[in-house]
Amino acid sequence: MSDFDFDIIRRSWPILRDATWVSIELFIASLVLATVIGFVLAIMRVSTIAPLRWFAATYVWIFRGLPALVILFFAFFWLGNSLGLTPFQSAILGLSASSGAYKAEIIRAGLLAVDRGQYEASEALGFTKAHYMRRIIIPQGIRVMVPNYVSNSTLLFKSTSLATVIGLNELTGRARQLANSTFQPIEILAAAGVIYLAITSLMTLTQGFIERRFALKN
Amino acid sequence: MDVGFIIDIMPDILKGLSTTVRLFLWSMLISTPLGLTLALMRLSPVGPFRWIAGFYSWLVRGIPLLLLMFYVFFALPEFGEAFLLSPFWSAVAALSLWTASYQAEAIRSGVLAVDPGQFEASEALGMTKFHYMRRIVLPQSVRIIVPPFTGNAINTLKQTSLATVITVPEMSLFTTRIISREFKALEPLLALAIIYLALTTVLVFAQQGLERAFRLKV
Repeated sequence: MSDFDFDIIRRSWPILRDATWVSIELFIASLVLATVIGFVLAIMRVSTIAPLRWFAATYVWIFRGLPALVILFFAFFWLGNSLGLTPFQSAILGLSASSGAYKAEIIRAGLLAVDRGQYEASEALGFTKAHYMRRIIIPQGIRVMVPNYVSNSTLLFKSTSLATVIGLNELTGRARQLANSTFQPIEILAAAGVIYLAITSLMTLTQGFIERRFALKN
Repeated sequence: MDVGFIIDIMPDILKGLSTTVRLFLWSMLISTPLGLTLALMRLSPVGPFRWIAGFYSWLVRGIPLLLLMFYVFFALPEFGEAFLLSPFWSAVAALSLWTASYQAEAIRSGVLAVDPGQFEASEALGMTKFHYMRRIVLPQSVRIIVPPFTGNAINTLKQTSLATVITVPEMSLFTTRIISREFKALEPLLALAIIYLALTTVLVFAQQGLERAFRLKV
């Protein structure tokens, strides 16, 4: 084995850096959309209207039952092709449709973890449902959701790598191209790994911080 | 949408089913003992064991599986001929390393959930650590480990789809070939989705069956 060549990493850095930004942009856009999808589905699943519950349950069953890659294929080969979307737009749709199903379960679990007495007391006080969900239940449910929400978001960040299969030049795909063209896969792929580790570790640290921030103060 | 076409291409996609299933079974077979070893290392009183297992978990869980697969397939052979694996075994290696890191967490939290009194009583009765881990603690923790363990297994089944990027002839690879040959995306993708959904749904039922089998009878 040849010696580890730091110089190739230094020379490839501008390309890796730009690709990292593509990954981060894809992550943020998908996270926002996935959160909206997850929130709407979670509210539907605790709704009193049965067809809304069935729809949300079916969505969650299908999108959690399929590999994210297959959902991405749908978004790119079928939806993207029919609507004329860019690979970046297709990737956002695919990743958030998949991640939204997991977010829905996390948000629902948070809402169900709120004590029944809080619902009953809100109703006894004459709050409307929209009012007490927004002011009483959701703020308390957030505390329960935070750890799972953040660790699920770390998964989503790693899943942005899947976009490479639909031709998006994000970090994993770029690193692979560079590994091929420089014939130095050991260094280039390790550099990409270090970038991912830095970002995911930062997210884990943020998770600890947010959990403390939302912890009950006794 | 052409339902007849979905039925026509189903056999073409099913040609990859045995590879998908073999990827899954080999990965489970290798990752389970590896995950158990890592979990016991993390629980060990010996510092270096804990550090190595902790570092492994941080490293493997901090990078995308796709990047790990590229590393095993493109970079490892540069270290020597012995690491030159076929696409199939590269995928099994990456899936096993990845699954093991999640199974280690599932097993570790299961062991930690066993009542500390059980450890103390075993020691008071003069059992050796090896003896009481095997006969007292692990059997009790299995009940707690089963749900996350099978959840991870379902994830591994879905992640076998990533092997398509290193040209393993599993179901997703056959599907993308059909898409580029027929210039039709919706029908092949629906056929693929139906098969994956059937597989994951069967595993979810197996998970519920196992949970019932291991439930405390009172």
